Order: sequence, then structure tokens, then C-alpha cells
Amino acid sequence: MENIYKPYLMNISDIIDEAPGVRTFRLNFLNEDEGKNFQFQAGQFALYSVFGYGESTFCIASSPTRKDYIECTFRQTGRVTNALSELNVGDTIGFRGPYGNVFPIEEWEGKNLVFVAGGIALPPLRSVIWNCLDLRDKYKNITIVYGAKTVEDLVYKHELKEWNARDDVNLVTTVDPGGETPDWAGKVGFVPTVVEETAPDSNDTIAILCGPPIMIKFTLPVLEKLGFKQEKVYTTLESRMKCGLGKCGRCNIGCTYICKDGPVFTAEEISKMPDEF
Amino acid sequence: MEKTLKKENFNSLITGLKDQGYRTIAPKKDNNLVTLDEVQSADEIHLDHVQTNNSIKEYFLPKTEKILSYTLEKNKVSIEEPEGFAVKSVVFGSRPCDAASLPIMDKVFNWDCSDKFWVERREAITIVTIACDKCDNYCFCTSVGLAPDSKEGSDVLLTKISDDEYLVETVTEKGEGLIKGLETVFSDPVAGTPDRQVASVEKKFEIDKIKPWLDENFAHKIWAEFSMKCISCGACTFVCPTCHCFDIVDECTMSKGDRVKNWDGCQFKMFTLHTSGHNPRSTQDQRWRQRIMHKFKYYVEKFDNILCVGCGRCSRVCPADMNISEMLEIIATEENQKE
Repeated sequence: MENIYKPYLMNISDIIDEAPGVRTFRLNFLNEDEGKNFQFQAGQFALYSVFGYGESTFCIASSPTRKDYIECTFRQTGRVTNALSELNVGDTIGFRGPYGNVFPIEEWEGKNLVFVAGGIALPPLRSVIWNCLDLRDKYKNITIVYGAKTVEDLVYKHELKEWNARDDVNLVTTVDPGGETPDWAGKVGFVPTVVEETAPDSNDTIAILCGPPIMIKFTLPVLEKLGFKQEKVYTTLESRMKCGLGKCGRCNIGCTYICKDGPVFTAEEISKMPDEF
Repeated sequence: MEKTLKKENFNSLITGLKDQGYRTIAPKKDNNLVTLDEVQSADEIHLDHVQTNNSIKEYFLPKTEKILSYTLEKNKVSIEEPEGFAVKSVVFGSRPCDAASLPIMDKVFNWDCSDKFWVERREAITIVTIACDKCDNYCFCTSVGLAPDSKEGSDVLLTKISDDEYLVETVTEKGEGLIKGLETVFSDPVAGTPDRQVASVEKKFEIDKIKPWLDENFAHKIWAEFSMKCISCGACTFVCPTCHCFDIVDECTMSKGDRVKNWDGCQFKMFTLHTSGHNPRSTQDQRWRQRIMHKFKYYVEKFDNILCVGCGRCSRVCPADMNISEMLEIIATEENQKE
């Protein structure tokens, strides 16, 4: 019988420093056959492990359209992410996944998309953003609103430049007041305010939101004011997880297990959950 | 199949099991505690108790268990899978409530994907239950749809019919196989209805009243009232035969290590603490509510079973004297008053 807790072994093939304490790893399967058979969809997450330190849960940050590798972006905060930060190109880590549900991007075809992310919450959206950009013809207008505390804290700086240069992407970047630099060309202000100013047309539009609870809390009413119906607003939740398989018993909000029923939910689904976020 | 078993034949039973390669786990008295533990002979078995202090759970979901091992050499990691963890065993003299916890837990460990550590142990272990001939005030199996002589989860059920004899009923094929393999130990039952000595456990509340109330009262003040005394020690979750929450951690020296699954519990603050410092269940009333909700609402919705067998261990062991069946009685009363 298969051991559901056994991870794949992955080689770190590239490391990118994104922001202070934030890194991206590019990972390749050590076993080529496992790599060939591996499939995931945007929105799914995984458990990454440093042997000797343990496992940690975060999203798959690369797009399923880029098939040769997986990328993850993490902030150095706890035991495992600190151990991950010590690793170099060529080192081996464990990877269990993909787990959880997905963004229903096929349902979104023919519609406008508005992505709203704050801080370290861009990685979970980066997978679905690139997925939609790689299938660009299938979607109408694509708007990305991304904010961080300071200019330095913005992640994927090179990709933000790339999106900014594209005619078919409307990128709005913002930093919190005081976080700007003299040459900062983006906006200054909090994400909810900037979303209100940007005022994306809610007609035939899907909004995809990810950020700290405080950002979500203040952005949802703004979207509602702009005419977004709750079932057209998607977000991805996080929680402390150990198994990722609906067994270890800690990631539930009421009857909903984030690891199995989520992490992707609509604002409508979230509004029906008990207040235990 | 029905047989009888004389107490004087316990020894040949245990020896017979040993000869067939079974490890026997049975209630054993150590100082004042009666614990389900490995026994070598029938002399060690203690049956004059209401409930063992530990539940049957640890033989299927151990307190700590290796889920993989690894060796680290320079840039190379090799993973080894644990073997031999499912030891062919008989649990002799478990209580019907403990046995009933097993099919309930099968659901969580098998849904969507199977946890082989649970499944392979379930296959390797045969359950010979002894119906309760006595109970105490903490017992409430009859309130959660079970009985002191329930057969759920047992392979064989023994019921006392006299001071030195038990009626033996096989429940599953696995149980029948076990009895057939040890035929000389058992006798055929005598004609007539045997006098089954089964405890009478008072029904304390109507289980049908619990979930409807929980459905409506996530934000009720009762959670704060119930949990006021709780010191968050988590003993209730550890002695519970149906609490199955676990942690996964690495234990490692320089070049070798194990990834282990350890018991964890929803009553601990760390259980849901995010790295950011945010905690969805940061207060004890939220954590106590989670325990009750998980057992009597969430698990029911997900797996169509109550996650409680009424063994009463959580209340017996609680250092703050919290009593779950008293709380459920209050909830059932609240629900009645609503109508």
C-alpha cells in the first residue's frame, strides 16, 4: 500500500531573492518519471520539507503551463522556512502534493479578470495569473492590483516589470504610505483604496483576491460597491496544516476543511462559514 | 457461531494465540491503573474494572510512529519506508465502546486516500471484546447509540454468563477464523437461554437533540461557560478512542532521521497557530467548541457518524472535572426548550 506521507525528492535548480526574507526556489524532480507523471492545476498547494527540520505548507507558485519545473516562494519565518533559506542550488528537499482544489479558470473564459494581491500573497495568485496569461486569447481584460508595505517588499520585481510592459495587462502597483522610494512610479496607498480608485468594471468580470485577513476584510466591501457579486469573487485561504489530506484535523473552519474543500473559495462560500478564520 | 469459554481456559487461549504467532493485548493492572498492554499469560489479565485508562486507539494510531526514515549524505537524501509496524495481534478484553470507535475512525483514515499505517494495523489486529458487566456514572454509551454489549467493531464478543464462564459470539469472518483455529479452548453452548450479565447504562440525553442545537449555536455563550474550568491540558483528547488529530515532525541526528506522526489535540493553543502569529482558535472557548462540534456536528456531516462512543474517559481523567455527558445533557435540554 502506498505511503501517503512520502514526499517526492526535488532538486533546487535555481534560487531567486525576491524581497527581504522572501525567496523563490525552482524545483525539479530527482526522479524523471515522477516529474513526467506529475500534474497540478493553479490554486493547489503542497508540503515542502527540509529533512531534519520538518514540513511546511505553501502554494505552488508557478503555472501548470510551465511544465519542466515547480516553483515556490516563501518568507523566512519559522523552523522549516529558516532551514529552507539555508539551502543552496543542488540541494534536495521533499515535496508532497499537489493538494486541494483549483481555480476554475475554464469557467472564467471569455471574461475580464481582476487579480488583487497584498504582500506575500502574490505567490498564490502568480500561478493562476501566468496560467491565464499563457492562455491570453481566452480572457478579455486582465487587471492586476498588487500592493506591499514598501517598494523593497514587492515580490517578483522582474515579472512586475514584464507585466507592466505588456499591452494586454493592466498592472497597478502600490505601496503603503511611507513605503515609497524617490523614484517610485506606482501608487501610494493601501490596496482597498487603490482597488476603489482603479475601479475595474464589474460587468462580466471575475475578481481573484489574496492577501492578509485585514486586506481581504476591507477589499471585499469595495468590490461589492463596484458591483461584484459574491459568487464572482474568488480567494484562497491558508491555515496551519500537517497532512494536507483531510486527516490531521486542524485546518477546518466549521465543517469545511481548507486542505480538501479549499484552499480556493468564493466570497459567497466564505460568507456562509462560521467566524473562525 | 456461538461457543462458550471457561475462565480456566484463558491460559490455553493466550498460549494458543501465542503459538499461532499472535501478540496479545489485554487489560493489565499496574499499581492502580488498568491499562491495555501486551500480556504473556492469562495471569496478567485483569477483568475486574469498569474501563481501562488508555483506549484501544494507541494500537492503531500509536502515540508516536515513524512514517518514514531518511539518511542524509552530502547532497543525497535516501528515504526508507517503515516496515513491520502492523504486528499480528489480538486485543482481548477491550470494551464494546472502544471496539465501536474503530469503524468510526476507519472513515477518516480511508476517505479520499488511505493511511496505510492505520489500514494495515486494522488488518493485522483481531478484536475480542468483553461486554461490560459493570459501569460507572461517567459511562454514557447508551446515549450515543451504543450499548454495553454492542458488537460494532468487534470480531468476537464475549458476554459473562456466570462467574467463570463467557458466551462467545463471532461477529466477523476474521473472528470466526480465530475461534476455529483454537477449537479445543472453547465448548459448545448448553441448551437454553444463557443468563447474560450485562451492565445497565443510564441514558442521559437524546442524541438527536444535539446536532440541531449545534447547527444553530456556533456563537452561543454556552461555550465560554463550558470551558471556563478548562486548563487546556488536552488529556481528554489523548484518552479519547476517537480523537485522531496528529502532528507530523522530523526527529533527526546529523545524518539520519525519522519523520514521525505524533498525537496532537485541538485543546492546545499551538494546534492552529499560524506562523504569522494569527490563531483562528486562540481562546479556550473556541477550542472546546471545536471539540464538541467536531464530534457531534462536523464528523456527522462528513462521515455520517458521531465521533464519540460514550466511554467517559475524557470526564474521568479531566483534572478540572469537566464532564462531557453533563454538557450534552444541557445542550439536549436547551434544544427541547426551543421546541
